[in-house]
Amino acid sequence: MTAVIEARNLSRWYGNILGISEINLDINQGITALLGPNGAGKSTFMKIITGQLKPSLGQVRILGQPVWNNFRLFRRLGFCPEADAFYEDLNGMEFLTGLLRLCGFSREESEARTRWALETVELQAASLRPIRSYSRGMRQRLKIAQAFAHDPDILILDEPLNGLDPLSKRQIIKLIKEFRDAGRTIVVSSHVLPEVEALTSEIILIHHGKILARGDVHFIRELLDTHPHKIRIQSQAFRLLAKLLAVEDYILNITFEPERQAVVFETHHRDHFFNRLNELLLEHGLDIEEITSPDDNLQAVFDYLVGK
Amino acid sequence: MKQEIQRVFSFSLFAGIKSRRSRTFFLISSAAILMALVIRIYRLAGNWTEDSQVIFQNFLMSFFLQFLIVILALFYGSSMVVEEIENRTLPYLTTRPLRRAAIIAGKYFASLTLTTVMLFSTLLISYLILNLDSDFSIKHLLTVIRYAAVLWLGLAAYLAFFSFLGTWLKKPVLVGLAFGFGWESVIQYFPGTTQKLSMAHYLKSLLPQFTTSAGKLGFLFIRLEPTRPWLAVLILLAIASVSLVLACLIFSFKEYLFED
Repeated sequence: MTAVIEARNLSRWYGNILGISEINLDINQGITALLGPNGAGKSTFMKIITGQLKPSLGQVRILGQPVWNNFRLFRRLGFCPEADAFYEDLNGMEFLTGLLRLCGFSREESEARTRWALETVELQAASLRPIRSYSRGMRQRLKIAQAFAHDPDILILDEPLNGLDPLSKRQIIKLIKEFRDAGRTIVVSSHVLPEVEALTSEIILIHHGKILARGDVHFIRELLDTHPHKIRIQSQAFRLLAKLLAVEDYILNITFEPERQAVVFETHHRDHFFNRLNELLLEHGLDIEEITSPDDNLQAVFDYLVGK
Repeated sequence: MKQEIQRVFSFSLFAGIKSRRSRTFFLISSAAILMALVIRIYRLAGNWTEDSQVIFQNFLMSFFLQFLIVILALFYGSSMVVEEIENRTLPYLTTRPLRRAAIIAGKYFASLTLTTVMLFSTLLISYLILNLDSDFSIKHLLTVIRYAAVLWLGLAAYLAFFSFLGTWLKKPVLVGLAFGFGWESVIQYFPGTTQKLSMAHYLKSLLPQFTTSAGKLGFLFIRLEPTRPWLAVLILLAIASVSLVLACLIFSFKEYLFED
């Protein structure tokens, strides 16, 4: 069976800067997540598969057809761009109706679809307000609504959960899963692993323009678990905490920051660490001012994976 | 293709009407009304006793022809693509089932409609302010229709040319300003065929009475060596058509990158 999206030796440079390099991918029905730190090449890939950029080398086909300048294909494709950009002087209703009219729907059909899409993302109450007055979360939901309002077979969502509060995130994740259940193909990009985990188990790790790994979420979790994490704790009892945790075999290194009354632990097993930390805090009645993870982001994991 | 152009036209016109920029340019256009009022009051005070038709012709040449249609065309034409790139809204258009050429053509006709409304409304009101008196007759209205047609032709040609610059260049406004207020202003004072390298020359050729105008601003056009009117119309239409086709072609094949 032919994949819905096929990329072959896909490369793209911006002058001397590499966007993506020799990407070979088959994406099928269901949710596929592109996971990578900012600047990894996710957006470049999405811009190529939505016909906004031409590949420097290689080719991409959607439903067996080339994408660049293939305007008919866009009836079957919905795109949610990463940028927080709108026609600010329009209201939500006008924005969606206008874009649906561009797709060729009649006025009545456009208005009916607009009402349905706004209701789906729970924006109907704000539909007559100018977009410039929307909160970040409302804007993000409106952007998602314009991507699915014309009922496309393929949804390309670039960082769709950015800027959403936890409740909105849950709603959008539920919505994306409903699209999957309806048999659509959805490509989602993100740089936040828990978001991706909540959406799908089919993950493509992308870094420095190359596909680093492809697999399900457990594989990624394993990679994360073997990556030593740094956890910084600020507390008046930082020396006591260090003493109590030093005996644990999953602690690899301890560094003191006495001027800030803080200690930095390096561990292979975050979960074990936090479980033990909670026990110690309760047993000894210790107070903590702040817990941070200096390298708790994908960039650190990727740097570790590529051997930096 | 026609339906696609209509769809983009409707969307762009609606978005244009609601945009803050249109309100700003309506205000700029309305400066003509204010100027006409000032002139009228000045004349009522007994100054500037020349024929009101001649005064309006001078006003038309200096404000409408050499300033207003150029500035409207420049900002609407050159920003046609640049504004979508700067506001990052271009993907909303380019990921719809529309030919890229239809996007430019639809946006061009929407901009032309908006700017035409701005131009005609201020032209008519300022004409009436300057000429509505006991001598006014319906014949004078035919004159204003003729002026309006010439200005509209100029607007269509400039708008198409600046749309072409807008699809082609990264910073089209600077080049457009240099062309609209530098080249176009200077070149027409050159004698012989050199002045025919400006669009303003052909527009002025369609208003031949100005060649012998004795108005206070007559120095602006005394050097005109007019082209025959039918040829001037043809050349202006050709400039508009070729520029628009080039704009559509460039937009169809060019990639537009955001400043990431």
